[in-house]
Amino acid sequence: MGEEKAKLLPFYLVIDVSWSMDGPSIDAANDIVPSLLEALEQNPILSDKVRFGLVDFSDDARVQLPLCDLLEPNLFVPTLSTRGGTSYGVAFRLLRKQVELDVMQLKADNYSVHRPVVFFLSDGAPTDEEHDWRSAFAELTQYDRQSKVGFPMYPNVIPFGVDNADPVILQSLIHPATGNKQMRMFLMDKGNTPAEAIKAMAEILISSVLSSGMSMANGGPGVVLPDPGQLPAGVSSFTADDEDFL
Amino acid sequence: MSGTVSGGRHALRDPRPEVEPVAIGDPGRAARAVIPQPDRRFPFRPAIVLDGVRIEGSSDAGGLEVRAASRRGLSHQYYGTTRQDEFGFLVTQDRRWLVVSVADGVSAGEYSHRAAEIVTREGCTRIAGLLTGVAPAALDWNAVLGEVSAVVVGQVRAELDLPGADLRQVADRAAATALFAVVAVDPDDGGGRTVHVMSLGDTSAWLLHSERETRWTPLQAVKNAGAAVASSATAAVPLIPRELPPPVAARLDQDGVLVLMTDGVGDALGGGTGEVGDHLARAWQRPPDPLNFAAQVGFARRSYDDDRTVVAVWPTPAPS
Repeated sequence: MGEEKAKLLPFYLVIDVSWSMDGPSIDAANDIVPSLLEALEQNPILSDKVRFGLVDFSDDARVQLPLCDLLEPNLFVPTLSTRGGTSYGVAFRLLRKQVELDVMQLKADNYSVHRPVVFFLSDGAPTDEEHDWRSAFAELTQYDRQSKVGFPMYPNVIPFGVDNADPVILQSLIHPATGNKQMRMFLMDKGNTPAEAIKAMAEILISSVLSSGMSMANGGPGVVLPDPGQLPAGVSSFTADDEDFL
Repeated sequence: MSGTVSGGRHALRDPRPEVEPVAIGDPGRAARAVIPQPDRRFPFRPAIVLDGVRIEGSSDAGGLEVRAASRRGLSHQYYGTTRQDEFGFLVTQDRRWLVVSVADGVSAGEYSHRAAEIVTREGCTRIAGLLTGVAPAALDWNAVLGEVSAVVVGQVRAELDLPGADLRQVADRAAATALFAVVAVDPDDGGGRTVHVMSLGDTSAWLLHSERETRWTPLQAVKNAGAAVASSATAAVPLIPRELPPPVAARLDQDGVLVLMTDGVGDALGGGTGEVGDHLARAWQRPPDPLNFAAQVGFARRSYDDDRTVVAVWPTPAPS
């Protein structure tokens, strides 16, 4: 093997742009990337290695910002707008394809690539068939180390639920759900507005990118999520085996 | 014995060259933007240490030239945390062997720099002690690493006032990789030297031949070669595995350089076939001035912000 140009930490933000997100919710969602960009500008250690991609989904899924260095001088950050239903399946399929493409391309370009992190933000239950989005999710996340069957570049998935998102469904999207690299999900508290919750989740995302980056930069195990006691007001976090929200 | 103090050897030498920052490829934003912050917990631990010595041989056949540098990485500078890498070397009492060590404190542990200090200092001392009785090939590495681990455990318990801490609890606070090499000071009849290397964790030893087609020859498996995504798991003192990796014996020819490094340099070097390998091979054809050596070890390269430590050993005199 040769040498590597740089060690990269890929993050993807996947945003539900179904009609129900229209108004203050989509406005709040559109503020996430500029806020992250501002945070990265303050941290040259992380901005040298964080790569960020933005995907939105409704009845179809689109790569709105291909995995990139957010501080590239001529970067155009797109504004998302709402457009239809809530197909989780198309989002997972596009992600599966995109993560593989991005990681393979980066590796072909001699970058060392850390396991990707996906923040998945939704405000409603999926409108596509359950067996369909479940199998798409399995293709995105399942990997067996022994037999090497599945997707070796599987991302860590951190679901963010607001408004009418189904907590039980989002909980099943936490990946890995168990083990020492267990992820968590973040839910809007009852009584909060979706836009406020999305703002809180932007804070969580940024803090997670910063602390995960710092952890990985220091040879740590990887994704760091904010302590449940330190969350912004109006959202709560749960693991895959919590039942408190039921 | 007369009352005069016996001095070392001296020779006319060039004035010291000016030290210039070194960049290899895209230097990244951090190299120019980071303002180094002190670590208030450890005010007396320097960010950069370096050394340069010649180990005289017993005859004109030559000896060894050593350059060593350990530097706090950009990430630790930015976050105001101490350098966790360390190096150490010494010559045995009988002057036959040079013992060299490089250690990388595991980041998660707040006192891992202490583990790295203990590994390099205690490790070299113990190996030198054992070499009075056995040849390097017969060194009991289990004993060396076991004793070094015991010192780490004892020191951490005492210094952190944790008398009851078990091995795991100590390792959570202070752990370090351990790399040792033993090199003969004098060449053998063939003009070369056998090198014995033990490596626990991802610190790496290399033979560098600037003039050959394959310049960098690793003396252990290269980290993450063939992995789908990079992993940062590594073995470290005091949690030593039941079965140690086998020690490696290699030959250091008169035109070769033995290079020990932490992964702060090793990760950027990869397999040694790219621009980092090219650059360092050129820079280290001959022993540089120690200050320049430290600058070379601190090369700027985007995203490589870990602590950096290298000890390089040249047979001397260099081939003309």
